[in-house]
Amino acid sequence: MAFKYITEKGPARAYMMANEAVVRAALESDVKVYSTYPGSPTVEILSTFEGALKHYDLRMELSVNEKVALETAAGASFVGMRSFVSMKSVGVNVASDALYVLAYTGVKGGCVLLLADDPHAHSSQSEQDGRWFGYTSYLPMFDPSSPQEAYDMVKEAYDLSERYSTLVLLRTTTRVNHQSGIVDIQMMNRTPIKKSDWGNDHNYTAVGVTARAGKLDMLRKMEEMKGFSEGTPFNRLQYFDGEDLHEGAPPRDEGYELGIVTSGVPYNYTVEALGKLGIRARILKIGLINPVPSRKISEFLAPLKKVMVVEELSPYLEGFIRGICKDANPSVELMGKGFGPFTEYSEYNIPMLVEALSLASGRPMPFDYRSHVKKMETLADILPIRPPGFCAGCPHRGTFTSLKRAIGSTPIFFSNDIGCYTMLVLPPIEWSDSQLCMGASLGIAAGVNYGANNKVVCAIGDSTLFHAGIPGIANAVHNKHDLTLVVLHNSVTAMTGQQTHPAHELTVAGKEGISIDIERMLRGLGIEKIVNLNAFEIRKNLKLMKEALDFKGVSAIISHGECALYHFRNLRREGAQPVPFYVDREICKRPYNCIKDFLCPAISIDERDGTSRIAPEICVGCGECAQMCGFGAIKSTATLHGGENKVYYTKADHDEFLRSKEVGK
Amino acid sequence: MKGSFNMIDCGVGGQGVVMMANIVGEACVRAGLRVISGELHGLSQRNGSVIAHQRIGETAISPLVPYGEADVILSLEPMEALRYLYFLKPGGLVITNTNMIHPPTETQMLAKGEKERYVRYDEVVERIRASGARIVEVDALELAREAGNPQTENVVMVGALAAVPEIPVGKEHMLEAVKDNVPKNALDVNVRAFELGYGSFKPGT
Repeated sequence: MAFKYITEKGPARAYMMANEAVVRAALESDVKVYSTYPGSPTVEILSTFEGALKHYDLRMELSVNEKVALETAAGASFVGMRSFVSMKSVGVNVASDALYVLAYTGVKGGCVLLLADDPHAHSSQSEQDGRWFGYTSYLPMFDPSSPQEAYDMVKEAYDLSERYSTLVLLRTTTRVNHQSGIVDIQMMNRTPIKKSDWGNDHNYTAVGVTARAGKLDMLRKMEEMKGFSEGTPFNRLQYFDGEDLHEGAPPRDEGYELGIVTSGVPYNYTVEALGKLGIRARILKIGLINPVPSRKISEFLAPLKKVMVVEELSPYLEGFIRGICKDANPSVELMGKGFGPFTEYSEYNIPMLVEALSLASGRPMPFDYRSHVKKMETLADILPIRPPGFCAGCPHRGTFTSLKRAIGSTPIFFSNDIGCYTMLVLPPIEWSDSQLCMGASLGIAAGVNYGANNKVVCAIGDSTLFHAGIPGIANAVHNKHDLTLVVLHNSVTAMTGQQTHPAHELTVAGKEGISIDIERMLRGLGIEKIVNLNAFEIRKNLKLMKEALDFKGVSAIISHGECALYHFRNLRREGAQPVPFYVDREICKRPYNCIKDFLCPAISIDERDGTSRIAPEICVGCGECAQMCGFGAIKSTATLHGGENKVYYTKADHDEFLRSKEVGK
Repeated sequence: MKGSFNMIDCGVGGQGVVMMANIVGEACVRAGLRVISGELHGLSQRNGSVIAHQRIGETAISPLVPYGEADVILSLEPMEALRYLYFLKPGGLVITNTNMIHPPTETQMLAKGEKERYVRYDEVVERIRASGARIVEVDALELAREAGNPQTENVVMVGALAAVPEIPVGKEHMLEAVKDNVPKNALDVNVRAFELGYGSFKPGT
């Protein structure tokens, strides 16, 4: 979208991604503080807020992890500011310690947490169903289906939050976060930030007696919010007459024996599938999924012969429906998980809903989706896989190439972590013995130490290190474990779009912060053996890596090298262009050391003579492949213009190259 | 309009698939059409396969095109068009860039002797045709270079799309959306890229 819809005064009709629409809604709601830790599929929320900083009086923090992000939003709310916090599904696990207590303490300024689930684990380590957080924490939770609804719900959430002094949750899924559509936006009315003087008229605590008081308060609020749930238009009745969707209950009961209860993006699939089959059904769309509108559900169920529950992942709504059926309509046939194509695995889509509704109604499928897909997939069977991989110029390629060589045939346990390097897990590399969640590499190593004789090698990125790695290090040092920690110091949270973290000099939107020195931090934590490397010097690093690997106890390898996307974007902004490398075809002996297990997207094979070829538009001239070639066939293109055969990495290097090019002329 | 016009935009991470989808989406809004798009981000910058779904029209409310119901596949890379062919309706239209990008996984198979040669463009086109699809071939890289910047391949492809007779969005709306989505200092080169793409369109065979 164009950023214009964030700065637009409104009202207007906009085309926005849901991730942008929620920011617009938060800004219209006069949110003053936004905090987050980056994670897909929520990243565009962060970048949109960051872009909004120069237009609005607003504070934003890239927190060290999701727990701190939620606490930051809560603190701002305690002193009366409206705040917004967003995180991915598994981020809520980290934040949940604070989340559960916040339900007890309540909040003051409107406080909204967006949590984004990722059915199908497109970019996550699990398909975790975050809806249970709402139910188990006694916090109200919305579940939007579209950008417009996400926008409307955020605005409603701020009212609800202040009316009941409660944190409000907005649960999305990848297909909502990354859905773009028409959003009717309202007027942007904002007030300037005015700090208050804390008057200590109320405290936010929960332990023993205050926890018990908080619990009672929370239960009372939940009870009151049940009334809200019955009345809110986000929980609404609709019906499909075989051709079109209508609001409310159908004019007659006859022909409407099938009812569908649904929420989130499966609602969208359901409505379209009804249209394809041309069947009639009542629909109860649940937008506020905690607390559920029990009375509304009960009334909905009463006249039905069949009820279908359409929800991805676990049978969350189904559990409530099953319970309510016992009183409201014990003979109703319930079609939920286990019915037709419905399982707790992955995402739903329109063809699945067509299949389920065809089974439920006896109407034939209008199109044989399965055999069509099978036929097309057979035609496509000549295609190679195209998984995501390390970019051209990525420092990790160098680090892991040297690490693999330094380890050699020594049987080690490779404990991996979360970041771009998690891609090592995927084919065709498939190199990792374990990988769970942020910071887990270290805790796993401790346990492996007790049960296996192998050296444990942990790989962790700099951002992940701050996020959840530090406790594992303290634990490993204190308990005298034997492991080598490889810190991939690429300066940014690379995977999610190169955001800064505590080791960076900048915070958000170019603002200066204090950079934490990772080596000093590790020394402070008691690691004595630390080696620093330049990630790109594959051969030179072998000896130093071996030193660290041979050390008995906890050792660390800090591999320095900026994320290529980040580094070369900045370089281009400074007005310099990368100087690519090339393969001298006369010298290339085709052993393909620059290709095998190296997987650089810039390198391919020229089928005319079998030599390796470097695509100059992709190569950024990191020089890693040149070190892999035993024949010296890979050289900087600078040599063709009178420059030296070396890596031109910085702006100064590039200026030097341009000067030598001039002299060469 | 009743019903929906469905599109798949695809290509390789870094080629600008999401921007291509944004341009089409914006153009629809300008033309007063309802539009809904579904994209996957996250891994999209890292040379992986990228896909975006677009639904245009009053009745479309889902962010995903059902299998076998896309009217058009607009692909920045031929193999990706074939990969997502299962979304195309029987007899639908594939508009593809002719420039093949071989993934490093394929190159490695050649280097390790697990495969004799790369997949060839002709094979890909033959397979697409065998499905019953019509195909429009655009040498987007060449046209982007001609426009003045090889990185404008995606805008070339949008230009070619705008020339498709059954597309519910007119050329002017599409061009305005291009202007809205590209960096201000690269406006001219992108307009040229769009026009070259538009002019290159020949009805699919």
